[in-house]
Amino acid sequence: MTMARTSRLLLRIALGCVFVFAAWLKLKEPWQLFAMSVDAYGLLPQWAVVVVARTLPWAELALGLLLISGVWLRVSSAAVSLLLLGFLALMVRAYLMGMKIDCGCFAASGDPISLRTLARDGGLFAGALALTVLAWRAPCARRSSTTTAASPVPGPDYARER
Amino acid sequence: MKRTVLALACLLFSSATGAEAPKGRAFGSPNAPITIEVFSDFQCPSCKTLHELALRPLLRDYVVTGKVYLIYREFPLPQHPYGRLAASYACAAARIGKYQEVADVLFLDQVVWSASGNVDKTVASVLSPADAIKVRTLAKESGIDAEIQHDVELGKAMGLTQTPTMMVRHRSVPYPISGAVNYDLLRSFLDGRLGK
Repeated sequence: MTMARTSRLLLRIALGCVFVFAAWLKLKEPWQLFAMSVDAYGLLPQWAVVVVARTLPWAELALGLLLISGVWLRVSSAAVSLLLLGFLALMVRAYLMGMKIDCGCFAASGDPISLRTLARDGGLFAGALALTVLAWRAPCARRSSTTTAASPVPGPDYARER
Repeated sequence: MKRTVLALACLLFSSATGAEAPKGRAFGSPNAPITIEVFSDFQCPSCKTLHELALRPLLRDYVVTGKVYLIYREFPLPQHPYGRLAASYACAAARIGKYQEVADVLFLDQVVWSASGNVDKTVASVLSPADAIKVRTLAKESGIDAEIQHDVELGKAMGLTQTPTMMVRHRSVPYPISGAVNYDLLRSFLDGRLGK
Protein backbone atom coordinates (compact mmCIF):
# COMPACT_ATOMS: atom_id res chain seq x y z
CA MET A 1 0.00 0.00 0.00
CA THR A 2 1.46 3.36 -1.00
CA MET A 3 1.89 6.29 1.33
CA ALA A 4 -0.88 8.19 -0.48
CA ARG A 5 -3.32 5.31 -0.20
CA THR A 6 -2.54 4.80 3.48
CA SER A 7 -2.99 8.52 4.18
CA ARG A 8 -6.24 8.56 2.24
CA LEU A 9 -7.56 5.54 4.11
CA LEU A 10 -6.62 6.94 7.54
CA LEU A 11 -8.02 10.40 6.74
CA ARG A 12 -11.34 9.16 5.43
CA ILE A 13 -11.86 6.77 8.35
CA ALA A 14 -10.89 9.41 10.92
CA LEU A 15 -13.01 12.18 9.36
CA GLY A 16 -15.87 9.77 8.77
CA CYS A 17 -15.88 8.73 12.41
CA VAL A 18 -15.78 12.37 13.54
CA PHE A 19 -18.77 13.21 11.34
CA VAL A 20 -20.77 10.16 12.44
CA PHE A 21 -19.98 10.92 16.10
CA ALA A 22 -20.98 14.59 15.71
CA ALA A 23 -24.22 13.58 14.00
CA TRP A 24 -25.03 10.95 16.63
CA LEU A 25 -24.54 13.46 19.47
CA LYS A 26 -26.99 15.85 17.82
CA LEU A 27 -29.55 13.28 16.73
CA LYS A 28 -29.84 11.66 20.15
CA GLU A 29 -30.91 14.99 21.64
CA PRO A 30 -34.09 16.98 20.97
CA TRP A 31 -33.51 18.97 17.76
CA GLN A 32 -34.38 22.24 19.50
CA LEU A 33 -31.11 22.11 21.45
CA PHE A 34 -29.05 22.17 18.27
CA ALA A 35 -31.43 24.79 16.85
CA MET A 36 -30.56 27.03 19.83
CA SER A 37 -26.86 26.66 18.99
CA VAL A 38 -27.51 27.53 15.33
CA ASP A 39 -29.70 30.47 16.33
CA ALA A 40 -26.96 31.82 18.63
CA TYR A 41 -24.83 32.72 15.57
CA GLY A 42 -27.51 35.30 14.74
CA LEU A 43 -27.32 34.83 10.99
CA LEU A 44 -30.48 32.99 9.99
CA PRO A 45 -34.19 33.71 10.30
CA GLN A 46 -36.01 31.29 12.57
CA TRP A 47 -37.51 29.16 9.80
CA ALA A 48 -34.01 28.61 8.37
CA VAL A 49 -32.65 27.79 11.83
CA VAL A 50 -35.27 25.05 12.11
CA VAL A 51 -34.46 23.69 8.64
CA VAL A 52 -30.71 23.62 9.38
CA ALA A 53 -31.19 22.07 12.82
CA ARG A 54 -33.40 19.31 11.46
CA THR A 55 -31.33 18.45 8.36
CA LEU A 56 -27.67 19.18 9.08
CA PRO A 57 -27.13 16.27 11.52
CA TRP A 58 -28.55 13.85 8.91
CA ALA A 59 -26.25 15.34 6.25
CA GLU A 60 -23.29 14.91 8.63
CA LEU A 61 -24.30 11.30 9.21
CA ALA A 62 -24.60 10.59 5.48
CA LEU A 63 -21.25 12.23 4.71
CA GLY A 64 -19.56 10.38 7.56
CA LEU A 65 -20.86 7.04 6.33
CA LEU A 66 -19.81 7.83 2.76
CA LEU A 67 -16.30 8.67 3.94
CA ILE A 68 -16.02 5.50 6.00
CA SER A 69 -17.30 3.31 3.18
CA GLY A 70 -15.20 5.09 0.57
CA VAL A 71 -18.14 5.39 -1.82
CA TRP A 72 -18.15 8.60 -3.92
CA LEU A 73 -15.02 9.69 -2.07
CA ARG A 74 -14.19 12.59 -4.38
CA VAL A 75 -17.63 14.13 -3.97
CA SER A 76 -18.01 13.38 -0.26
CA SER A 77 -14.53 14.65 0.65
CA ALA A 78 -15.12 17.84 -1.31
CA ALA A 79 -18.51 18.31 0.39
CA VAL A 80 -16.95 17.73 3.82
CA SER A 81 -14.19 20.26 3.04
CA LEU A 82 -16.73 22.87 2.00
CA LEU A 83 -18.88 22.19 5.04
CA LEU A 84 -15.92 22.45 7.42
CA LEU A 85 -14.75 25.64 5.70
CA GLY A 86 -18.21 27.09 6.24
CA PHE A 87 -18.24 26.05 9.92
CA LEU A 88 -14.76 27.47 10.43
CA ALA A 89 -15.67 30.79 8.79
CA LEU A 90 -18.75 31.14 11.00
CA MET A 91 -16.78 30.31 14.12
CA VAL A 92 -13.98 32.76 13.27
CA ARG A 93 -16.58 35.46 12.63
CA ALA A 94 -18.27 34.78 15.98
CA TYR A 95 -14.91 34.70 17.78
CA LEU A 96 -13.75 37.99 16.24
CA MET A 97 -17.07 39.60 17.11
CA GLY A 98 -16.57 38.51 20.73
CA MET A 99 -19.73 36.40 20.75
CA LYS A 100 -19.82 34.14 23.80
CA ILE A 101 -21.66 31.24 22.23
CA ASP A 102 -21.40 27.48 21.94
CA CYS A 103 -19.93 26.31 18.66
CA GLY A 104 -22.59 23.59 18.27
CA CYS A 105 -19.97 21.35 16.67
CA PHE A 106 -20.61 18.23 18.71
CA ALA A 107 -22.93 18.29 21.70
CA ALA A 108 -25.51 21.04 21.52
CA SER A 109 -24.13 22.77 24.59
CA GLY A 110 -20.98 23.12 26.68
CA ASP A 111 -18.49 23.75 23.89
CA PRO A 112 -17.96 27.53 23.76
CA ILE A 113 -16.07 29.00 20.80
CA SER A 114 -12.44 29.48 21.78
CA LEU A 115 -8.98 29.23 20.27
CA ARG A 116 -9.12 25.52 21.14
CA THR A 117 -12.30 24.91 19.14
CA LEU A 118 -10.95 27.02 16.27
CA ALA A 119 -7.73 25.00 16.21
CA ARG A 120 -9.71 21.74 16.35
CA ASP A 121 -11.96 22.70 13.46
CA GLY A 122 -9.01 24.16 11.55
CA GLY A 123 -7.26 20.80 11.91
CA LEU A 124 -10.34 18.95 10.68
CA PHE A 125 -10.58 21.29 7.70
CA ALA A 126 -6.90 20.76 6.86
CA GLY A 127 -7.44 17.01 7.04
CA ALA A 128 -10.53 17.20 4.83
CA LEU A 129 -8.69 19.37 2.31
CA ALA A 130 -5.78 16.91 2.20
CA LEU A 131 -8.22 14.04 1.70
CA THR A 132 -9.97 15.92 -1.12
CA VAL A 133 -6.66 16.51 -2.90
CA LEU A 134 -5.63 12.86 -2.44
CA ALA A 135 -9.03 11.62 -3.61
CA TRP A 136 -8.99 13.74 -6.76
CA ARG A 137 -5.40 12.84 -7.59
CA ALA A 138 -5.77 9.13 -6.91
CA PRO A 139 -7.73 7.99 -9.99
CA CYS A 140 -5.32 9.78 -12.38
CA ALA A 141 -2.28 8.24 -10.72
CA ARG A 142 -3.90 4.81 -10.79
CA ARG A 143 -5.00 5.13 -14.39
CA SER A 144 -1.50 6.03 -15.58
CA SER A 145 0.03 3.16 -13.61
CA THR A 146 -2.41 0.63 -15.10
CA THR A 147 -1.09 1.34 -18.57
CA THR A 148 2.08 -0.50 -17.70
CA ALA A 149 0.61 -2.95 -15.23
CA ALA A 150 0.21 -6.64 -16.00
CA SER A 151 -3.52 -6.48 -15.37
CA PRO A 152 -5.39 -3.41 -16.73
CA VAL A 153 -8.47 -4.20 -14.62
CA PRO A 154 -8.79 -1.68 -11.79
CA GLY A 155 -9.05 -3.15 -8.29
CA PRO A 156 -12.19 -2.86 -6.14
CA ASP A 157 -10.72 -0.03 -4.09
CA TYR A 158 -10.26 2.01 -7.27
CA ALA A 159 -13.88 1.54 -8.27
CA ARG A 160 -15.13 2.30 -4.79
CA GLU A 161 -13.11 5.45 -4.38
CA ARG A 162 -14.22 7.06 -7.58
CA MET B 1 -21.52 10.00 28.16
CA LYS B 2 -21.21 13.67 29.06
CA ARG B 3 -24.84 13.68 30.18
CA THR B 4 -24.25 10.63 32.41
CA VAL B 5 -21.26 12.33 34.02
CA LEU B 6 -23.32 15.48 34.45
CA ALA B 7 -26.22 13.63 36.05
CA LEU B 8 -23.80 11.82 38.35
CA ALA B 9 -22.06 15.07 39.28
CA CYS B 10 -25.41 16.70 40.09
CA LEU B 11 -26.46 13.72 42.17
CA LEU B 12 -23.17 13.42 44.05
CA PHE B 13 -22.96 17.14 44.73
CA SER B 14 -26.56 17.32 45.88
CA SER B 15 -26.19 14.43 48.30
CA ALA B 16 -22.82 15.63 49.54
CA THR B 17 -23.97 19.13 50.42
CA GLY B 18 -27.65 18.59 50.94
CA ALA B 19 -28.22 21.12 48.17
CA GLU B 20 -31.78 22.25 47.77
CA ALA B 21 -33.68 25.09 46.18
CA PRO B 22 -32.53 28.37 47.74
CA LYS B 23 -35.23 30.16 49.72
CA GLY B 24 -36.77 33.05 47.83
CA ARG B 25 -35.01 32.16 44.59
CA ALA B 26 -37.17 29.20 43.55
CA PHE B 27 -40.49 29.73 41.81
CA GLY B 28 -43.35 27.42 40.93
CA SER B 29 -44.16 23.97 42.18
CA PRO B 30 -41.30 21.65 43.22
CA ASN B 31 -43.45 18.83 41.80
CA ALA B 32 -43.52 20.37 38.31
CA PRO B 33 -42.47 17.91 35.55
CA ILE B 34 -39.57 20.12 34.51
CA THR B 35 -36.99 21.83 36.70
CA ILE B 36 -34.83 24.62 35.35
CA GLU B 37 -31.83 25.95 37.25
CA VAL B 38 -30.55 29.20 35.77
CA PHE B 39 -26.90 29.99 36.48
CA SER B 40 -26.53 33.67 35.87
CA ASP B 41 -24.33 36.70 36.49
CA PHE B 42 -26.05 40.07 36.92
CA GLN B 43 -23.24 41.87 35.09
CA CYS B 44 -23.27 39.60 32.03
CA PRO B 45 -25.04 41.10 28.97
CA SER B 46 -26.29 37.71 27.69
CA CYS B 47 -27.81 37.02 31.12
CA LYS B 48 -29.73 40.29 30.80
CA THR B 49 -31.05 39.22 27.40
CA LEU B 50 -32.04 35.79 28.69
CA HIS B 51 -33.75 37.27 31.74
CA GLU B 52 -35.72 39.84 29.81
CA LEU B 53 -36.60 37.91 26.65
CA ALA B 54 -36.93 34.33 27.84
CA LEU B 55 -37.25 34.02 31.61
CA ARG B 56 -40.04 36.56 32.04
CA PRO B 57 -42.32 34.85 29.50
CA LEU B 58 -41.22 31.49 30.91
CA LEU B 59 -42.46 32.53 34.35
CA ARG B 60 -45.79 33.57 32.89
CA ASP B 61 -46.34 30.57 30.58
CA TYR B 62 -44.76 27.67 32.42
CA VAL B 63 -43.92 28.51 36.05
CA VAL B 64 -47.25 30.04 37.03
CA THR B 65 -49.08 27.20 35.30
CA GLY B 66 -47.16 24.56 37.29
CA LYS B 67 -45.23 23.06 34.38
CA VAL B 68 -41.78 24.31 35.35
CA TYR B 69 -40.00 24.74 38.67
CA LEU B 70 -37.56 27.61 38.19
CA ILE B 71 -34.51 28.03 40.42
CA TYR B 72 -32.16 31.00 40.14
CA ARG B 73 -28.51 30.28 40.90
CA GLU B 74 -25.82 32.92 41.24
CA PHE B 75 -22.69 32.40 39.18
CA PRO B 76 -20.78 35.73 39.23
CA LEU B 77 -17.82 35.59 36.89
CA PRO B 78 -14.42 36.85 38.08
CA GLN B 79 -14.08 39.26 35.14
CA HIS B 80 -17.15 41.21 36.29
CA PRO B 81 -16.07 43.42 39.22
CA TYR B 82 -19.58 44.12 40.56
CA GLY B 83 -21.25 40.82 39.66
CA ARG B 84 -20.74 39.28 43.11
CA LEU B 85 -21.91 42.44 44.89
CA ALA B 86 -25.08 42.46 42.79
CA ALA B 87 -25.61 38.77 43.58
CA SER B 88 -25.25 39.57 47.31
CA TYR B 89 -27.99 42.19 47.09
CA ALA B 90 -30.23 39.83 45.09
CA CYS B 91 -29.76 36.97 47.57
CA ALA B 92 -30.41 39.37 50.44
CA ALA B 93 -33.59 40.51 48.69
CA ALA B 94 -34.62 36.87 48.29
CA ARG B 95 -34.57 36.54 52.09
CA ILE B 96 -37.37 39.11 52.31
CA GLY B 97 -39.24 37.79 49.27
CA LYS B 98 -38.14 40.51 46.84
CA TYR B 99 -35.77 38.57 44.58
CA GLN B 100 -37.75 39.00 41.39
CA GLU B 101 -38.11 42.77 41.77
CA VAL B 102 -34.42 43.23 42.54
CA ALA B 103 -33.28 40.87 39.77
CA ASP B 104 -35.50 42.74 37.29
CA VAL B 105 -34.06 46.14 38.14
CA LEU B 106 -30.48 44.89 38.29
CA PHE B 107 -30.78 43.60 34.73
CA LEU B 108 -32.76 46.63 33.59
CA ASP B 109 -30.12 49.08 34.86
CA GLN B 110 -27.14 46.80 34.23
CA VAL B 111 -25.29 49.37 32.14
CA VAL B 112 -25.69 52.06 34.81
CA TRP B 113 -24.44 50.22 37.90
CA SER B 114 -21.84 48.27 35.91
CA ALA B 115 -20.22 51.62 35.11
CA SER B 116 -20.65 53.29 38.48
CA GLY B 117 -20.50 50.29 40.81
CA ASN B 118 -23.45 51.76 42.72
CA VAL B 119 -25.51 48.59 43.07
CA ASP B 120 -27.11 49.88 46.26
CA LYS B 121 -28.79 52.80 44.54
CA THR B 122 -30.26 50.60 41.80
CA VAL B 123 -31.59 48.05 44.29
CA ALA B 124 -33.01 50.71 46.61
CA SER B 125 -35.01 52.17 43.72
CA VAL B 126 -37.46 49.24 43.82
CA LEU B 127 -37.63 48.75 47.60
CA SER B 128 -39.30 50.63 50.40
CA PRO B 129 -36.81 52.51 52.64
CA ALA B 130 -37.28 49.90 55.37
CA ASP B 131 -36.70 46.99 52.99
CA ALA B 132 -33.69 48.75 51.48
CA ILE B 133 -32.08 48.95 54.92
CA LYS B 134 -32.84 45.26 55.57
CA VAL B 135 -31.36 44.20 52.23
CA ARG B 136 -28.29 46.40 52.71
CA THR B 137 -27.65 44.79 56.11
CA LEU B 138 -28.33 41.24 54.94
CA ALA B 139 -26.10 41.65 51.87
CA LYS B 140 -23.10 42.10 54.16
CA GLU B 141 -23.74 38.89 56.11
CA SER B 142 -21.32 36.04 55.62
CA GLY B 143 -24.24 33.65 55.14
CA ILE B 144 -25.13 35.41 51.89
CA ASP B 145 -21.60 35.06 50.60
CA ALA B 146 -21.66 31.37 51.52
CA GLU B 147 -24.96 31.01 49.65
CA ILE B 148 -23.41 32.50 46.51
CA GLN B 149 -20.29 30.38 46.89
CA HIS B 150 -22.49 27.30 47.21
CA ASP B 151 -24.14 28.12 43.86
CA VAL B 152 -20.74 28.73 42.25
CA GLU B 153 -19.44 25.39 43.52
CA LEU B 154 -22.60 23.68 42.30
CA GLY B 155 -22.12 25.19 38.85
CA LYS B 156 -18.46 24.20 38.76
CA ALA B 157 -19.38 20.64 39.76
CA MET B 158 -21.76 20.58 36.80
CA GLY B 159 -18.93 21.68 34.52
CA LEU B 160 -20.33 25.12 33.76
CA THR B 161 -18.10 27.16 31.49
CA GLN B 162 -20.20 30.22 30.78
CA THR B 163 -23.21 32.27 31.80
CA PRO B 164 -26.07 32.15 31.35
CA THR B 165 -26.52 28.40 31.49
CA MET B 166 -29.84 26.74 32.13
CA MET B 167 -29.82 23.23 33.51
CA VAL B 168 -33.13 21.81 32.39
CA ARG B 169 -34.15 18.52 34.01
CA HIS B 170 -36.97 16.32 32.83
CA ARG B 171 -37.40 12.82 34.26
CA SER B 172 -33.91 13.12 35.78
CA VAL B 173 -32.33 13.73 32.37
CA PRO B 174 -30.28 16.96 32.39
CA TYR B 175 -30.20 19.19 29.32
CA PRO B 176 -27.63 21.98 29.66
CA ILE B 177 -28.53 25.02 27.56
CA SER B 178 -26.08 27.90 27.29
CA GLY B 179 -26.52 31.45 26.10
CA ALA B 180 -29.40 33.83 25.62
CA VAL B 181 -31.71 31.39 23.89
CA ASN B 182 -34.61 32.25 21.63
CA TYR B 183 -37.84 31.91 23.62
CA ASP B 184 -39.76 30.30 20.74
CA LEU B 185 -37.15 27.53 20.51
CA LEU B 186 -37.11 27.12 24.29
CA ARG B 187 -40.90 26.87 24.30
CA SER B 188 -40.81 24.29 21.50
CA PHE B 189 -38.24 22.30 23.48
CA LEU B 190 -40.25 22.44 26.71
CA ASP B 191 -43.51 21.54 24.95
CA GLY B 192 -41.71 18.60 23.35
CA ARG B 193 -40.62 17.34 26.79
CA LEU B 194 -44.05 17.94 28.35
CA GLY B 195 -45.79 16.17 25.49
CA LYS B 196 -43.83 12.99 26.05
